[in-house]
Amino acid sequence: MNLNPVFIVEAKRTPQAKAGMELKDVQAPYLGHYLIRHIMDKLGLPNDVIDEVIFGCVGNPVDYPNIARVIGLEAGLHKKVPGCSVHRNCAAGMEALAQASIRIAAQRDHLIFAGGVESMSNIPLLFNKKMTKLFTDLFKAKTPAQKLSAMLTFRPSFLVPIVAIQKALTDPFANVNMGMTAEILARDFGITRMEQDEFANRSHHRAAQATQNGRFKDEIVPLIYGKKLDHILYEDKGFRADSTVEGLGKMKPFFDKKAGTVTVGNACPITDGGSCLLLASEEALKKYNLEPLAKIINWHFHGLEPERMGAGPILAMDGAFKRSGLKLSDMDLFEINEAFSAQVITVLRGMKEKKVADFFGIDTVWGEINEEILNPNGGGIALGHPVGSTGSRIIVTLLHELMKRKGRYGMASLCIGGGQGGAMIIENLKR
Amino acid sequence: MNFEKILYELKDQIAYIGFGFNSSKKMNVLDKQTLMELRDVFGIISPAVEEKKVVGVIFYSLTPGCFLAGVDINLIASLKSEAEILSTVEEGHTIFNMIEDLKIPKVACIDGVCMGGGLELALTCDKILVSESDNTVLALPEVKLGLLPGLGGTYRLPRRIGIPNALDLILTGSNVRAKKAKRMGLVNEVFAKERLLEMAKLQLFLRPKKLKRSEAIEKMIMNQLLVRKFIFKKARESVLEKTKGFYQAPLKILNVIEAGSACNRKSGLAKEAAGFTELALSEQSKNLRHIFFLVEGTKKYKGEPVSDRTKKIKKGAVLGAGTMGGGIAWLLADNQMSPLLKDINKEALELGLSQASSVFSKSVKKKHMTEEEFQRKQRSISPTLDYSGFKSVDLVIEAVVERIDLKKIVFKELENYVSENAIITSNTSSISIEKMSEGLKRPERFLGLHFFNPVNMMPLVEIITHSKVSDEVVRQMHAWTLAVKKTPIIVNDGPGFLVNRIMTPFLSEAICLLEEGLSIEQIDRAMLSFGMPMGPGRLLDEIGFDVAVHGSEAIYEWLGERCKTTKLLHQLVKAGYLGKKNSKGFYHYNEQGKQLGINEELKKLCSNKSCKISEESIQKRLILPMINEATYALQDKIAEHASTVDVGVIFGLGFPPFRGGLLKYADNVGLVKILADLKELEAKVCNKRFKPSQYLQEMVAQKKNFYNQ
Repeated sequence: MNLNPVFIVEAKRTPQAKAGMELKDVQAPYLGHYLIRHIMDKLGLPNDVIDEVIFGCVGNPVDYPNIARVIGLEAGLHKKVPGCSVHRNCAAGMEALAQASIRIAAQRDHLIFAGGVESMSNIPLLFNKKMTKLFTDLFKAKTPAQKLSAMLTFRPSFLVPIVAIQKALTDPFANVNMGMTAEILARDFGITRMEQDEFANRSHHRAAQATQNGRFKDEIVPLIYGKKLDHILYEDKGFRADSTVEGLGKMKPFFDKKAGTVTVGNACPITDGGSCLLLASEEALKKYNLEPLAKIINWHFHGLEPERMGAGPILAMDGAFKRSGLKLSDMDLFEINEAFSAQVITVLRGMKEKKVADFFGIDTVWGEINEEILNPNGGGIALGHPVGSTGSRIIVTLLHELMKRKGRYGMASLCIGGGQGGAMIIENLKR
Repeated sequence: MNFEKILYELKDQIAYIGFGFNSSKKMNVLDKQTLMELRDVFGIISPAVEEKKVVGVIFYSLTPGCFLAGVDINLIASLKSEAEILSTVEEGHTIFNMIEDLKIPKVACIDGVCMGGGLELALTCDKILVSESDNTVLALPEVKLGLLPGLGGTYRLPRRIGIPNALDLILTGSNVRAKKAKRMGLVNEVFAKERLLEMAKLQLFLRPKKLKRSEAIEKMIMNQLLVRKFIFKKARESVLEKTKGFYQAPLKILNVIEAGSACNRKSGLAKEAAGFTELALSEQSKNLRHIFFLVEGTKKYKGEPVSDRTKKIKKGAVLGAGTMGGGIAWLLADNQMSPLLKDINKEALELGLSQASSVFSKSVKKKHMTEEEFQRKQRSISPTLDYSGFKSVDLVIEAVVERIDLKKIVFKELENYVSENAIITSNTSSISIEKMSEGLKRPERFLGLHFFNPVNMMPLVEIITHSKVSDEVVRQMHAWTLAVKKTPIIVNDGPGFLVNRIMTPFLSEAICLLEEGLSIEQIDRAMLSFGMPMGPGRLLDEIGFDVAVHGSEAIYEWLGERCKTTKLLHQLVKAGYLGKKNSKGFYHYNEQGKQLGINEELKKLCSNKSCKISEESIQKRLILPMINEATYALQDKIAEHASTVDVGVIFGLGFPPFRGGLLKYADNVGLVKILADLKELEAKVCNKRFKPSQYLQEMVAQKKNFYNQ
């Protein structure tokens, strides 16, 4: 099979805000649909030329079983344009891009919208099993006596809800909370609290600086929000320009409360947001007279022990380098999602230290990632981590920063709950 | 026997009566022939029932989307004398009674429009089944034409759905959709339209459902004489409050229903027939029916016929997100045009969004739209600070600040971003469209599209042409205006176009009266009792004094002394009085914008002379110059015909519909008298402002009317 090149024509994202804040009333599809509409309007494309809409979403809302389909329709795409939703936990957005890439590379499709959305504000509380059984019994009951007997089984404990978001952030296999996985890495490699807080502090300051300088302007499409839908959000919310290492140092460890190092301050907040890219084949570029911004070079997903999921990017980047034949030194920019400070620090050490690389079974020491080219505009700790979107959001941010720096290759990577890592390399064509 | 208008078939001993036979029209009406054929069909069916050859009747329609849209309005217009009307109504009653009295079950299957006489026919049936389609609407809209339902509606409807519901339906003439109709008991069942006929066969012989206990109790209470009296008293009060006593039909309807509720069918229908006849002969009903035809007239485009190749107008954009911009964005969003809303700063964009949102919120509150639809429609607006996306736009409506230099710059910019086929329009209310068109590279795709504030409430849109505009663009915008459920009038370029030009003397003459020593309350009261929705003082508060001065000055520059603005308003603007928007107007308002008392502070600034003048004279002082200005506008060929003026003043200014429009009113008064009164004012008050137009003088000389008849 001949593989064809895959181009990125547009890449946009929503501003991001902590769950429960500005975007709390925005249902997940509305974090994606307007990005598509914006891109369609901007390019002046007819609404029926898109071959597929692929979106990732982790806490898929019950109202929208296939959220990508809803996003496509809400965006005003022709009803004949199909849509499918994908899931790879925190890398759902990257998975959408990966699937879109394969289809275009294989010349099955020519224009695909791929991205991710997550409204963590809207992840629901669920009834527990006991209450669900009571409902089922009530539903089955035919006579009043049966109904009464079903009702009499009620106990107050039935009303204790299942917090879906808590469940989602706990590994079902290893039964470890995500925060604990970062704690484990910190223990494994002796990462100090100070190191973590300094890293987090830098993220906040970089994000604040970038926002102030309008560094995100090209990638963010303003979003309507508010109860009455009469406000417009232009910028990310949630980073703290006044953050200090001392201030972060005062926070109590959240996961290992007695002897831990991971705090809410050196971890990413739960967040609402969406991101979307338009991918195209060479044929489509010609047919619709589109100018590509970048090319997708390659990507790689890799599994590891769930309780050390934070180190996933080491394995994923290793795989992506090997698949593409490129080296760390070829990269002009890195965008590594910051789920936890400890986790990113582990990744950086895994790339340059043989001991850590060996620990994860990697035979190559790729080298040091210069901090100047790593997340120069801050990362997940400051900007947040809307899980379904981040996988594609970091590509959007990577691409726009790469264009501004006139660099060539860029690497985006992230750790994935459940014990995986994902990495994708793009090449900027607007140098 | 063969029929031309109805399809009569007998299948399995069931008589099927289909309307819309041999017709390609979208709407079926009960015209004379249909009524006669109906009579003849039942002439056949009745004996067959006796012989047990027919066991049921099913009414349906062969026209998709319409059962019966009511009695042909031309039929009513063709009846001139009292005797003629009465006998026609009685003949109708006889036919409907014959149907009702048939001793076999009858079912009406309704998909689509079922109004007036159509619904009254359905009411003679044992059961009414309707389709769940969105097109299915039931109504008795006669009141809107100054009439009452004359085919048994006032008698049968209260008996079917209870007096309160029936009053609500008949007094408002409002549309009821399937779900609500089922809830109020007007229809028995709702089915998918494809299943209607099949279900009708089953329903024919199913016993009707028993009343629920609560419904039975309600019915019993309603039958109490005292309760009924109370209901009618309350209804009468509410009618008087809403119509301010201007409209005869609602009161007549109340009387007829109240009298009918206490007697048998024969005398009930006799009262209905008498009431109908009286209303049909009234001036008011004639005026209201006149307006009905005027509105129908606006739907026809008189220019070149439609070419199929025109690009459909799908996506819109609004430049300038002020009050008007936001209102227009709402209109576009409500009509699935996912508008771009552009302004130069964020605050303005949010203001525009909140404008749209507040209109949508009202619909949500009234349950005209769901929260989900609100989300979808409001989110379909893309606020933007740049021109990205304008490439995909089919229609741009400009609503930026009223400055021609600015507008010209905007258009110049805009033309670089929109596609070849995009239509560009301006919502200006005071700047010459001709002059603006000079700023465009391709003026043929440009015209004026003047909306009135608030956009969601005001039905009128002035389409303003200029010398270089293409016919195709005018035609497209006419069709588009109708498609977004607005009422278009096509006018030529000129000062204030049509409606604002006619409004100007209404406002400036009020200020003159104010200077002469009248109080604003006196003036407003006089105009309210003429039937205007608000007096000139209140209207000025709404418009804003500065805007009014700006507008009238533009008109003065163009038209000269006749439209000279008065000093007082200038002085008020200078003193910081701008009207409602800065809470410094003639009146005080509460936070919801409701009018409270008079603003004494402003009152002190007005003349302290006191003068006495009758209400009628005030009305003359304000209405006559409007009529006069309208004839100047006709003379200047701003509007083609009096009907354009009347549609404009009714739907743009709220001129009282029961008067039939400004020029229809002039006709009714008599043009000779109008001219004489004008001349009197010219001699006594001002020889410039009241100078009659050549046009009017010639009409009088030639003994013409605005509307021939």
